Amino acid sequence: MIPILGLAVGVLLGLFLHPTVPLGLQPYLPIAVVAALDAVFGGFRARLDRIFDAKVFVISFVSNVVVAGLIVFLGDQLGVGAQLSTAVVVVLGIRIFGNAAAIRRHVFRA
Amino acid sequence: MGASLLDAILAETLDPAYAQAAEARRAREAGGAAAPRRWQGRTLVALTMALAGLLVAVAYSQAAASAKGREQVRAALIADIDRETGISDGLSAQLQKLRTTVSDTRDTLLATTTVGQQALDSLAAAEQGAAAVPVTGPGLLVTLANADPKGAADPVGGTAEPDARGQVQDGDLQLVVNALWAAGAEAISINGERLGPTTAIRFAGQAVLVDFRPVANPYQVSAIGNQESLSRRFLASPDVGSLAVISQSFGLRFEFAKENKLTLPAASTLDLRSAQPLSASGSPSTGSAGASTTPAPHSPPGG
Repeated sequence: MIPILGLAVGVLLGLFLHPTVPLGLQPYLPIAVVAALDAVFGGFRARLDRIFDAKVFVISFVSNVVVAGLIVFLGDQLGVGAQLSTAVVVVLGIRIFGNAAAIRRHVFRA
Repeated sequence: MGASLLDAILAETLDPAYAQAAEARRAREAGGAAAPRRWQGRTLVALTMALAGLLVAVAYSQAAASAKGREQVRAALIADIDRETGISDGLSAQLQKLRTTVSDTRDTLLATTTVGQQALDSLAAAEQGAAAVPVTGPGLLVTLANADPKGAADPVGGTAEPDARGQVQDGDLQLVVNALWAAGAEAISINGERLGPTTAIRFAGQAVLVDFRPVANPYQVSAIGNQESLSRRFLASPDVGSLAVISQSFGLRFEFAKENKLTLPAASTLDLRSAQPLSASGSPSTGSAGASTTPAPHSPPGG
């Protein structure tokens, strides 16, 4: 319950406070969101599997976001930013799908 | 665990660290260690989730704001274009009115004397030739249109470039117009832009310009003349034959029809290019004022 509340509070804060993102970080925002979603889905699935661990969740979240951003940043410097962000989105997307399927099996038993 | 990279990605969707942590916790509990502080963990999780929500919301509002900004810039540009077009239209209407006043005054003045009457007659002929007056009559209507885009465009992020070979080029229009002149057309207009002696048909980016004004697909070339001889000689022209073959192989639309009544407007501004001073006797030198039909390059429209 508390994590859901936290998520809602974060969304409301973002929508009403309109924090400004530095211009240089703006291209990495969508990738960071996808990475964050992956970590959140992973945490939710782990919770349903009863192996959730706060430390693992926080660390995986932060490292996911930072690493995804860094990969795309590196790609930008090398001139393959678009391809690398596609790679990141594909890999994280597959993981999100897998975790969503596992969550579905837990929730609906199907 | 699959051997290939793809198998690994597909099979291992959950971070293995969770399993390891659970393992470690079980080992600790079995060993009788104290349970870790749960409050700290919960707060951290809630904060992280808040961060995730914040990221999602910020990314969303960023995307929405940039889309809205683009929309605003676009709307402002369109408003600018509309306003300037309106001003330009108003000015050309004013010009048309003044021009009519001038020619009416000139006609009344010239009509009073015999010499003036002669000048008026030759002026009328010159104006006809210079496309300075609107004309109506029977003729041919030739339609040229771009090929239909092939199939459905890619719905996801699809800004497929249309095949350039399926587009009507300025050269195609020039070819049709020249064939029509050669077939004996007396007056020609493209999409309502009358062709004068110095009118250019050109290409600028994606748009065909007739007399420096853009005309859009489909292109309708109206030609006034004797329908029978016009269509016979137009169809006999080898250029038209090759254009028909080209349009068939690239899917261009190329049709023509006989029309009993076509109305062509006057061509835009005629510039005064040559003039002679009045001779001492006071008789105006014929053919000097108004329309000069010297085939000089068209000067840029100067207001």
